[in-house]
Amino acid sequence: MLRFIIVRLLWMIPSLVVISFLSFVLIQLPPGDYVTTYIATLAASNEVVDQNTAAELRQRFGLDQPMIVQYWKWISGIVLRGDFGLSFEWQQPVSGLIWERMALTLVLTFSTLLATWGIALPIGVFSAVKKYSIADYIVTTISFLGLAIPSFLLALVLMYFAAVELGQEVGGLFSEQYLNAPWSLGKVVDLLHHLWIPVIILAVSGTASLIRVMRANMMDELNKPYVTTARAKGLSEFHLLMKYPVRIALNPFISTIAWLLPNLVSGSIIVAIVMSLPTAGPLLLQSLMAQDMYLAGAFVLLICALTLVGSLISDILLALADPRIRLE
Amino acid sequence: MSDRTKGGKGQSRRTILKGAAGVAAYAAYARPAFAQAAKEAPDLAKLAADGKLPKLADRVSASPLVIKVDKIGRYGGQIRRGLRGSADHNGILRMVGNQGLVRWNLAFTEVLPNVAEKWEVNADSTEFTFHLRKGMKWSDGKPFTADDVVFCVEDCAKNTDLYKSAPSPLVIGGKVGAATKVDETTVKFTFASPYALFLEQMATPLGQHPTLFPKHYASQFHPKYNDKVADLVKAANMSDWPTLFRAKLGDIEIPSRWSNPEKPTIDPWVIKEPYTGGATRVTMERNPYFWQVDQEGNQLPYVDRLAFNISQDVESLMLDAISGRLDIQERHLDTLQNKPTLSQNMQKGGYRLIELVNSSAQQMQIYLNMTHKDPKLREILGNKEFRQALSLGIDRKEIIDIVYLGQSEPYQTGPRPGHPWYHEKLARQFTEHDSKKAAAMLDKIGLDKKDAQGFRLRPDGQKLFFAIDVIPTLYPDHVDTLELVKRHWAEIGVDIKVNTIERALYYTRGDNNDHDAAVWPGPGGLDPMLDPRDFFAQHPQGSRYAVPWTLWYVSNGKDGQEPPESQKQRMKLFDEARATADMDKRGKAMKALFDLTADAFETIGVCLGVNAFGICKNNLQNVPTKYPNAWSWPNPGPALPQQFFFST
Repeated sequence: MLRFIIVRLLWMIPSLVVISFLSFVLIQLPPGDYVTTYIATLAASNEVVDQNTAAELRQRFGLDQPMIVQYWKWISGIVLRGDFGLSFEWQQPVSGLIWERMALTLVLTFSTLLATWGIALPIGVFSAVKKYSIADYIVTTISFLGLAIPSFLLALVLMYFAAVELGQEVGGLFSEQYLNAPWSLGKVVDLLHHLWIPVIILAVSGTASLIRVMRANMMDELNKPYVTTARAKGLSEFHLLMKYPVRIALNPFISTIAWLLPNLVSGSIIVAIVMSLPTAGPLLLQSLMAQDMYLAGAFVLLICALTLVGSLISDILLALADPRIRLE
Repeated sequence: MSDRTKGGKGQSRRTILKGAAGVAAYAAYARPAFAQAAKEAPDLAKLAADGKLPKLADRVSASPLVIKVDKIGRYGGQIRRGLRGSADHNGILRMVGNQGLVRWNLAFTEVLPNVAEKWEVNADSTEFTFHLRKGMKWSDGKPFTADDVVFCVEDCAKNTDLYKSAPSPLVIGGKVGAATKVDETTVKFTFASPYALFLEQMATPLGQHPTLFPKHYASQFHPKYNDKVADLVKAANMSDWPTLFRAKLGDIEIPSRWSNPEKPTIDPWVIKEPYTGGATRVTMERNPYFWQVDQEGNQLPYVDRLAFNISQDVESLMLDAISGRLDIQERHLDTLQNKPTLSQNMQKGGYRLIELVNSSAQQMQIYLNMTHKDPKLREILGNKEFRQALSLGIDRKEIIDIVYLGQSEPYQTGPRPGHPWYHEKLARQFTEHDSKKAAAMLDKIGLDKKDAQGFRLRPDGQKLFFAIDVIPTLYPDHVDTLELVKRHWAEIGVDIKVNTIERALYYTRGDNNDHDAAVWPGPGGLDPMLDPRDFFAQHPQGSRYAVPWTLWYVSNGKDGQEPPESQKQRMKLFDEARATADMDKRGKAMKALFDLTADAFETIGVCLGVNAFGICKNNLQNVPTKYPNAWSWPNPGPALPQQFFFST
C-alpha cells in the first residue's frame, strides 16, 4: 500500500509538467492576449486606452515574446522559486489572490457536500427499499424537478423574490458590517446566516442526481443472495441494510472524490457569479476572460493537482471500503 | 468674475448643453473671511478639536476652489455604487479620480480652473504657465507644490523604464513637453510645437499625469531618489522597480491605482478598503485635506463615504438598483433594454432617472474596410458610389422605430445638431431610403450581373459578399440593426453576413486588418477634437475603415500604408486645428476637414446616438438632471460628486 502511494505520488510530477504546458497553451489559444482584452473591456464603456500604453503593456508583460519563452518564465518561477508571478490585471502576487478565496470556497463546498449527501443518501435508500410505492414516485418526481431546474435560474428567482418581495439583502456571504472584519464569533454566525441560501441552491441539483444513483445501486444490491441470507439469519432490516448493501452502493460516491476536489475551485461558478459569492470560481472565470495568464494558469494547475490528489484518495478509500478491490 | 478672464485663454466653444438644468459650478477668489467662516464635517471637527488633525484653516489651501453649489448641503451619509468584478477601475476613476490641473464645466464646453487656480498661455500655444493653490495639501497633510508636478512629468512620465513611450496627452509632434518649476506654486509646460489642445487634454482622464504621483511618497520607489530601491523590490518579491512603482502607485487606468490605502491623493475621497483581485467591496472615506469648499466656506465633500459593491454579474446590479440599494449609478445599467424595468420600479426603489447626453455622433457606424487585403474586394469597398448606394439602401426609419423605440433620427456622422460645428452635408447626406436609385448606382459601377437568387456578382464572377463584425455581448442593438440592414441590402442585391464574434477576436481581426467590415458607435458628437477617428484615419483601434492609414499617420509615415490625398490633407488640417488656440480659426480648419470627410464618404451611419440614462436616489441632492455621457467628460466626475448630499 505504501509503495503504491509513493509510486503514484512520483508519477504526479511529470503529469503536472505536461498538464501545466497544455493548460498554458490552451489559455493562449483564444485570439488576442491580456492587453487586447484590457483594451476591449475599457472600450466597452467607451473608454480609451492611451495608444502608447497598449504597446508598452504588451512589452512589460512579455506578451510580445514567443509562447515557449513565456511558459518557461512562468514555470521556472514556480519550480525554482515557488513564485507564481504577478497577476497582470491586479499587479498582485497570484498566490495571495488564490489563497484569499480558497478558505470560503472550502466552507461552501463542504457544506454543500454535507447537505447533498445528507439529503440524497437516506432518500435514495428509502426509495430503493420502497420502490414503486406512492412515496417513491413523489420523491422521484421532486428529484427530477430539482435536476431539471438550472441552479443559476433558481438563484436568480430566489434573489429576485428576496430582494423585491422581502426587501432582504441577498448575494454575498456576509452582512455589510462583517464584510472585511476580522474573524469573530459574530462573523461565523453571520456566515451561517447567509450560507444556507447558496447551499440549498447548489444542493438541489446535486441531490437529484445522487438520489437516482443511490436508488439504482441499492436496487442492484437488494436482490443479491447475501441479502437474502442475512435476512434469513434474522438480522434486523435496518442493521442489514446499513451493514452490506449501503456500503457497497456507496462505491460510486467514493470514486467521485477525484472530481470533488477540483470542484472546490471550478464548481458552482455560475451560481457564485449570480450571487456575488467571494469564492474562487468567479476569480477563475474572470482571469480566463481577461486572459490574465499567470492567475488563470495557477488556477488550472491547482485544479489539475487537486484532481490527481483526489483520485489517489478515492483509490485508497475504495480499497478500504470494499474488500473486493485490490491494488495489484 | 468669470473663469474665462481669470483662466487666461477662454475655451468656450459649444453651447449644446446650455439648457441643461443643474448646478453651475464656478470658481471665485477666496474671501478674506474664509478662514473664520470655514466649516467642516462634524467628525473632522472633533478630530481637530482633539488635536489629532490640524485646524481646518491649516488643512485647506488659502485659496481653495470655491464651488457654487445649488443647495448648501449637510454632512454625512454614504453613496453606494456598483462595480463589476474585473477591470472596472474606471468606475472609481469616474466618480473621484479626475482631479487634473484643470477640469470641464458641466456643459462640456469650457475648461475651468481646478488644481491650477489660473494659467497663462503664450501667443503660439507652446508655453503654459499654471499657478497652483497656495497651501494645498495631499491627503496625508503634506504640501502639494510645483515639485510634485515636475516630478510626475520629468521623473515619471518621461522615465523610459516606467513608460516605454510617454503618455500621449503630453506629446505633440513626436516630442514630450517639459515641465519646469518657476516657484513653489508655479509650473511651466513647454512644447516644441504649438499645442492649443493641451488644456482640453488636461481636463480629460488621460491628462491626469501631472497630478498623479505625490513626490514625497513616490520617490521612495524611484531609483533616482532612493538608491536602495532594489531592496524594496526584493522584499516585495517583484521583478523590477517599475513593477513595484505601479503596484504601489498605480497609473491613471489600472486597478492598482485603487489598491494602496497608503498612497496620498488629492481626490475628495481616499481608499479605505482597496480594489484588489479578491475584493467584494471597495470603500472610500473623505479626504480631510480636500481643497474645495462651497460658497459658504463649507469644506467638501459633503458625503462621508463611498461604498462600491462588486458584482460579478450585471443582473445582480439591476436587482440592487430596483431594490434601492444604489444611490447613483449609470455604469453597466444604461442600456436601452434596461430602461423599462428601471422606470417601472422607480417608486419601489425610491430613485429617479437622470438623462445622460450621448457624446457619440452615431449609434452604429458601419466601417467597410477600404484597405482590404483582397484587391478585388478592396476595389469594390473602396468605391465611393458603392458606399453611397449602400447608404441609400438602408431604411433608417424602420430601424429607428423597431430597434431604438423611435428615439433617434437618420444621421451619418459629425458633431451633433446644436453643436457650433454641426455640418449639414456630413450629417445628412444619403440618409434617405431609395432602393431604386441605389440599385441603379450599383448597376452603373459594373455590379450589374446577378446570380440565380438575385444577388449581385463581382466583376470576376464571384458572388459579392462580405461579413460585418459585431460584438453581440457589448451592443446587442447592433445585431438587431444589422439583421434589418441585411434585409434592406438584400433588396438591392447585396448579401452580407452578420458576423457575431467575441470582443478580443473583434480587436485582433481589426489590428491585423483581417476584417471585411465592422460596426461600432461612432464618436465625435460632442468632442470632435478629442475623438476625431470617424472624420479621418486617426485611431489604430478605432478608424476601422482604414487601419493601415492610421498606422501611417501615427508613425509619421514609417508604418502602414500611404493614404490618399484627401486623407493626407485632413491629417494636416487636424494637426493645424490642434495647434490653434483661436476658436474661429480652429473652427475654420475643422470645417474644411469636415468638407473633405463629407466628400470622401468613408463611413456609413444609421442614426444619431441615443441618449442614455442613470438612476439617482430621490434624497440625493445637487445632482444635475442632465449631463454628458463621455469618456473625455468622465461622468459623473465633472458633475462634482463632492457637492452631492443626502437631504434626509
